[in-house]
Amino acid sequence: MPPPEDSSQPRLAAGCRWGAENRGTENKPGNEEERVILFPEGAIKLQGTGRQVLERCDGQRTFAQIIAELQAKFADADPVKIRSDISQFLEQLRHKRIVDY
Amino acid sequence: MIPNPLALIAEITHRCPLHCVYCSNPLELAAVSSELSTAEWIDVLQQAGKLGMLHAHFTGGEPLARPDLVELIAAARAAGLYTNLITSGIGLAEPRLKALVDAGLDHIQISFQDSREDSANWIAGAKAHAHKIELSRIVRRYKIAFTVNLVIHRQNIDHLDEMISFIEQLAPERMEIAHTQYYGWALQNRAALLPTRVQLERAVEIVAAAEKRLAGRIRVDSVVPDYYGRYPKACMGGWGRRLMLINPAGKVLPCHAAEIIPDLTFENVREQTLEFIWQQSPSFQRFRGEEWMPEPCRSCDRRAEDFGGCRCQALLLAGDAAATDPACSLAPAHYIVEAALAEANSSAAVSQPAPASSFVQLQRQARDLWSYRTNPE
Repeated sequence: MPPPEDSSQPRLAAGCRWGAENRGTENKPGNEEERVILFPEGAIKLQGTGRQVLERCDGQRTFAQIIAELQAKFADADPVKIRSDISQFLEQLRHKRIVDY
Repeated sequence: MIPNPLALIAEITHRCPLHCVYCSNPLELAAVSSELSTAEWIDVLQQAGKLGMLHAHFTGGEPLARPDLVELIAAARAAGLYTNLITSGIGLAEPRLKALVDAGLDHIQISFQDSREDSANWIAGAKAHAHKIELSRIVRRYKIAFTVNLVIHRQNIDHLDEMISFIEQLAPERMEIAHTQYYGWALQNRAALLPTRVQLERAVEIVAAAEKRLAGRIRVDSVVPDYYGRYPKACMGGWGRRLMLINPAGKVLPCHAAEIIPDLTFENVREQTLEFIWQQSPSFQRFRGEEWMPEPCRSCDRRAEDFGGCRCQALLLAGDAAATDPACSLAPAHYIVEAALAEANSSAAVSQPAPASSFVQLQRQARDLWSYRTNPE
């Protein structure tokens, strides 16, 4: 299965969803931004860039748009690296059937 | 401080329209009259949510046999839990499925016994196969996760590739290929179910190839056969580390089979809270951590990986729940597993599905091969 293309519209796969606020996280002061995605037989905790990426996987935005938004948001980081990291991240989640694109 | 449990396994009834010969339910099934009420289950689900659990797995028996299932799914979802229904599909038509989805069902897991109808019905002891296929098509109309579960063993493993292609056509997100684990009815029927080494090695290759071929489309999860492994499985992710199982009568267990362990008393949700049971009950403390471990586990590098294996298997095979799991090649009692394997490998014979007009007839014909799971009173 190939990595996402610019026109792909990544979204959470069927039966995968965000957990309610503060469920399954260790949110303490200074760590308010952790959220959890629930899927069959598991859950992943997300914070930082991972959370920023998946919150944009709404089936509306294209992969190119998501990349552009995050390149703008993290202007200090290498834009080429941002792109390849996110592409790999989504491909991995697709293999786990947490994301579709 | 003991970390919170992650998931609740809700065995809501032991009634089942199927009679699978590999069923992992205990031989002593919970009577219908002992089952928790709707209100009791709802209270348990709310407690599970407050304890910080993430998943509720509804299983049985056949959970659809409970007329209040929609209500229970809704209660689990309201408590913040991810809801999973593990089912044969018997008793489910589209209106009820829709009601379950509307109530917040996240994931449905349908078991198949084989790709071939005669063999599937023979293993299940019921005419169920055709209905499962029909139901799978209906499931795909809803936006929920769909897993097909296939239990493999000596009698069906030779056409595993055919079974994988069959599952592929049902288009689930996930397929779970599980080697039979020998508890309850499966242990009783072990001689008919344990594959040969040749069968197993071929199956491992087929699963690996399928994983690669289906990557990104269908996730393949497999459960390895511990009898053929070098090390035991990390049963339940460790005793009292992740999971709580509640049986139909409200008994709270660290795993499916724990009730067979003598000298352990299990608390009931009718008398104690889940939090108390998780934190303080002697049964959940008994094999938690490393204090209880015998050698060779106690000084083993793998003790934090497999936790000494399965306590119930240690009891069933070695007669001592505190022994190293005999599936482990380092266990003093490993010779017991080796003897079972030697027997399984002494002949490659498999049986032929027996056509029968009734379950009673099927049972009689198969008497020398295996016993079918019965139903609770």
